Amino acid sequence: MNGFLYLVKFSYRNLFRVPKRTLIMILSLSLGCGFIIWDLNFANSGSREIMKDFLSQYAGQYQITHLDYYNPKNKKEFNFYKTFSDDELVDKELIKLSTPRVNAPVFLSGSRKTLGVLLTGLMVEKEKRLSTLYKAITVGKFLDPNGNKEIILGKKLSQRLNVNIGDEVAAIGQAIDGSIANDLFKIVGLLDFGGGDLEESLAFTQLKSAQEFLSLPPMIYHQRVSFDMDSEALPILTKLGVSSWDELLPEIGISIKFIDRFTWIVSFIIVMVVSLGLSNTLMITFFEREHEFTSLNIIGAKTNWITASLMIEVFLMGTIALILGTSIGYAATSFFNSHPINLEIFTGGKPIIMGGITIAPHIRLYAVPKYFWQVPLMIYFFLTLTMIYPLIRVISRSKNAI
Amino acid sequence: MQFELSNVDKVYTSSEEIKVFGAKGVSIKIAEADFLALVGPSGSGKTTILNLIAGLIIPTSGQLKHGGKEITSMSLEERTQHRLDYMGFVFQDYQLLPILTAEENIEFPLQLKGFSKKEIKERINWSLKQVGLENLGKRFPNQLSGGQQQRVSIARAIAGRPQLILADEPTANLDSKTAQEIIELFLKLNKEFKLTFVFSTHDQRLIDQVRTVLYVQDGQISESRVHNV
Repeated sequence: MNGFLYLVKFSYRNLFRVPKRTLIMILSLSLGCGFIIWDLNFANSGSREIMKDFLSQYAGQYQITHLDYYNPKNKKEFNFYKTFSDDELVDKELIKLSTPRVNAPVFLSGSRKTLGVLLTGLMVEKEKRLSTLYKAITVGKFLDPNGNKEIILGKKLSQRLNVNIGDEVAAIGQAIDGSIANDLFKIVGLLDFGGGDLEESLAFTQLKSAQEFLSLPPMIYHQRVSFDMDSEALPILTKLGVSSWDELLPEIGISIKFIDRFTWIVSFIIVMVVSLGLSNTLMITFFEREHEFTSLNIIGAKTNWITASLMIEVFLMGTIALILGTSIGYAATSFFNSHPINLEIFTGGKPIIMGGITIAPHIRLYAVPKYFWQVPLMIYFFLTLTMIYPLIRVISRSKNAI
Repeated sequence: MQFELSNVDKVYTSSEEIKVFGAKGVSIKIAEADFLALVGPSGSGKTTILNLIAGLIIPTSGQLKHGGKEITSMSLEERTQHRLDYMGFVFQDYQLLPILTAEENIEFPLQLKGFSKKEIKERINWSLKQVGLENLGKRFPNQLSGGQQQRVSIARAIAGRPQLILADEPTANLDSKTAQEIIELFLKLNKEFKLTFVFSTHDQRLIDQVRTVLYVQDGQISESRVHNV
């Protein structure tokens, strides 16, 4: 132990041999580490904020449905005959966190055209409290909680149907009992989702109106959509099915994963470039001491001892740099937590549209704990690779130096 | 234990035709408490002979033994361990580690030998006392004069109480007064503690004070002389 402490002291003192060079190496490593942590937090928080914004508008964090409502192999397909009631929901807390919906695939007829859309019945008051769908209304108003047979349409859909506020549209579909369902709905508002596909395929009415249209009794739904955005864990239910947003919107989940992985790839490249520079500096540092290594060997230091001392020196430098780097990363993340980044500076003030929905342009950064050990570990790995070549060169040269 | 070189040749080959003898037919016996100088001009082969004794280089032919044990058959790491166990070194340019204090420099071979903390402390104090630097142990090499640095280097060499101390031109970088002091220190350590010294020099002023002088010319021992000192 005594010998090891001496070895560590020896390595530590070597850091101060050329202080400016050591400082530059520490700074390059710590700034690299700090930037990567910040960048990963930015990508993660960005995705999270965008998703939160996106999901809170319509899709929600997760859905509770009948076990057989969705096709487990393809959740784009659903069986609208599979409904459930709140009696089947044991955890009553979930009722508070979610809003019920009823979905009806219908043909909607305007003055000129008939188009197939998904008519969704909403519990208006609760929807206004939990989701931000009402914010997408740009023309007219949101559904009246006490109203009946009102409808709001996507802006694009209204253009294709050639209808406007105050007009009536006819909906024809199939009721749960197999009979033909048909009714007239009065347009009260138009939704602007930023021009995406959703604008052409969605229409919303009061829950009660949709239930009547489908011949569904009250308290019977297709979905309960949860907007509990802070909880990523899904509830465990035995009698009912639970589907997360990324199961229902896999293409968006994949995009988020891609952003995360791409950020890691960029981080790897940054670390590799920094490592090449470091390798060169280490080579110079070690070669300068070549004569000294020979002397150490003469007075009895074996190759292993010299190698260990150099490795400890590099790891000590790395540890100092990474402590500093993680602190920089944390400080930068915290700063942008209190001062959110406005993404509009990158788009020239234009709105950012994702999956057909306009998202909020402000990204508030959150520190993700795993990055604070994953990034230093990655840098340690590259640091180890970085010193292998200089070590082999210097040890083989000092062996033959006498 | 005796160090012995028997008819040792060291040939440096740069090509098939060009062969240079660093040492040729060298035979030396070094007994306990010997005080021996290798004398000759630069390039005569003094350092090669010192390196052979230390096991830093392997002879092309001949035998190199310590206490009857063949050094040439040892691996590189075994020879390093052998040097650590039985030898101390004093260099022309001191070779102190600039990042360590005088005490820590002396501690270096003692740590490699695995002495206890207490024993290391005792040996550092003893060796600093022998070289007359009791109060300068906390200083870094750049805070010491050339003569003081060489004394630290000697303290480092003797701290492990080796059987043999090898010194390559130990006075070459010092003024004549300091050089005289270093030789007197060597003589004192040799006399008081029966430490064996082998050193190389081409400084004629020092030769008269040395008991056994081996004159080296073109890698060969051309003459040996024993003085009464």
